[in-house]
Amino acid sequence: MIAYLSFELIVQLVVNGILYGTIYGIAAIGLSLIFGTMRIIFLAQGTMIILFTYFGYWLLELAGIDPFVSLLIVVPLSMIIGVLLYRSLFKESAEMDDKNASLLLAVGIMFLVNNLMLVMWSANPRMANTAYTEVVFSPMGITIPFTRLIALGLAILSAGLLTLFLKKTYLGMAVRAASENMLYATLVGINPHRVNTVAFAIGIGLAGVAGIGVLQIVPFDPFFGFTFALKALIALALGGIGSVFGALMGGILLGLLESLGSFFVGGGWAEAVAFGAFLLVLMFRPEGLFVRSVKKA
Amino acid sequence: MENLLLEVNGIDVFYGDVQALANVSIQVEQGAIVALVGANGAGKSTLLKTIAGVKQPSRGDILFQNQPLCGRRAEQVANMGIVLVPEGRGLFANLTVLENLKLGAYPVKARAHLQESLNRAFELFPVLKERVSQKAGALSGGQQQMLAIARALMAMPDLLMLDEPSLGLSPLISKEIFELIHTLNERGTTILLVEQNVNQALKIAQNAYVMKTGSIEMQGSGLELLANPEVQEAYIGKRWSKT
Repeated sequence: MIAYLSFELIVQLVVNGILYGTIYGIAAIGLSLIFGTMRIIFLAQGTMIILFTYFGYWLLELAGIDPFVSLLIVVPLSMIIGVLLYRSLFKESAEMDDKNASLLLAVGIMFLVNNLMLVMWSANPRMANTAYTEVVFSPMGITIPFTRLIALGLAILSAGLLTLFLKKTYLGMAVRAASENMLYATLVGINPHRVNTVAFAIGIGLAGVAGIGVLQIVPFDPFFGFTFALKALIALALGGIGSVFGALMGGILLGLLESLGSFFVGGGWAEAVAFGAFLLVLMFRPEGLFVRSVKKA
Repeated sequence: MENLLLEVNGIDVFYGDVQALANVSIQVEQGAIVALVGANGAGKSTLLKTIAGVKQPSRGDILFQNQPLCGRRAEQVANMGIVLVPEGRGLFANLTVLENLKLGAYPVKARAHLQESLNRAFELFPVLKERVSQKAGALSGGQQQMLAIARALMAMPDLLMLDEPSLGLSPLISKEIFELIHTLNERGTTILLVEQNVNQALKIAQNAYVMKTGSIEMQGSGLELLANPEVQEAYIGKRWSKT
């Protein structure tokens, strides 16, 4: 194996890792937001991502809408679905001190959507093809697929917009305050349902972005979602909860681990490397790698 | 009584099966400082939390400006003009000083006056102006308490409730906080104050209630209670009572 090793190859592995990891990052940011205000891991996040991948797939196959144009439909739609999910299912359970009800709801949604997708689209793996799916850039002997580059751009753009929202608007500040302490947030007059709704809208909206990102990058099937949610969870743990930047970096780090791990350790071990890193981080730096924690006031 | 701002009428509050408040009634007049004193576990904080809508009473009612508060959620009570600075100060440690202050003006009617409120806060607390971009968690204890009070004022509250504002502060800083409370009151803020520092609290309070195991034990003006031998014995201690 070492005989094949060249500088270009290493760079290629790193580039692949970064390009793929940003999708994990976007999924992790969504998880992080929902966890922030609701204190639950929204396990259905990965399944929602794949649902939106199928939406994009349908828009392409049935209506001929380019995947990146379909973002304009899928993202608003996914945000509305996020609002409806919260208002119809989570509003009651969010009030309870016991978080198990919310967690079980998330798991229930995961199974429901999973099987719904199975009925509608079968278990056959699919992948979208457009005129530019095969387009690659080759700077200095490295292969960079055009679609992955766009996915990277989308990830950075959404992370940037979200950061602006969280830092510069009153509502965004309220979301951050509620993530830190919901009781204190209500004492300054913040309505918990309002911030939870916003967290769900943005979290599921990001699932829409990630879903379209996946569409042309890897073959997907309905079961892909659960693995994806686990990966997002690992990315979140690596990066640290409560920071958009941290979650994105966690995703990229996970992408790198998988890419380099599958080459150096062997394809079948990629996930073992990722989970191993997850355990190590939880053991030695449970607050995450990219978070500077401030002691409680 | 005239100009009654807040009226608590015979409330019972339970934590599970444990009764924390039994038949508690208090009144707060517009423009007054009212102190609640008593030992740990007497139910002082529970009373503030119940007024703030964090806990709901199982019996009795609470009227604020003649409107019933019972059944309202904490954020609704805050939007009505009652702000609680909880024990532990309730700051958002990872947010900056400025962000904490801005969030204080979250209620819609306060947000319209954001800039003037900020200017007023910086005039009252020059130290906060120097530290606007620092995280609240990085401030010292005294500065955090100042920030907590400054943030509460950003809401332009009709009633400011302070839970143990001097807790964990040095005597010097603690004295500053009491002077501040006095100043705020002179400028027109009505204050409901819970304090362990009975001596200081009774000195600045027009009216005070002594609580014991979930009930009101005594009531009177601050100076009356301060002179009361029972109060001196139980809460102040002879050594300090002469000063």
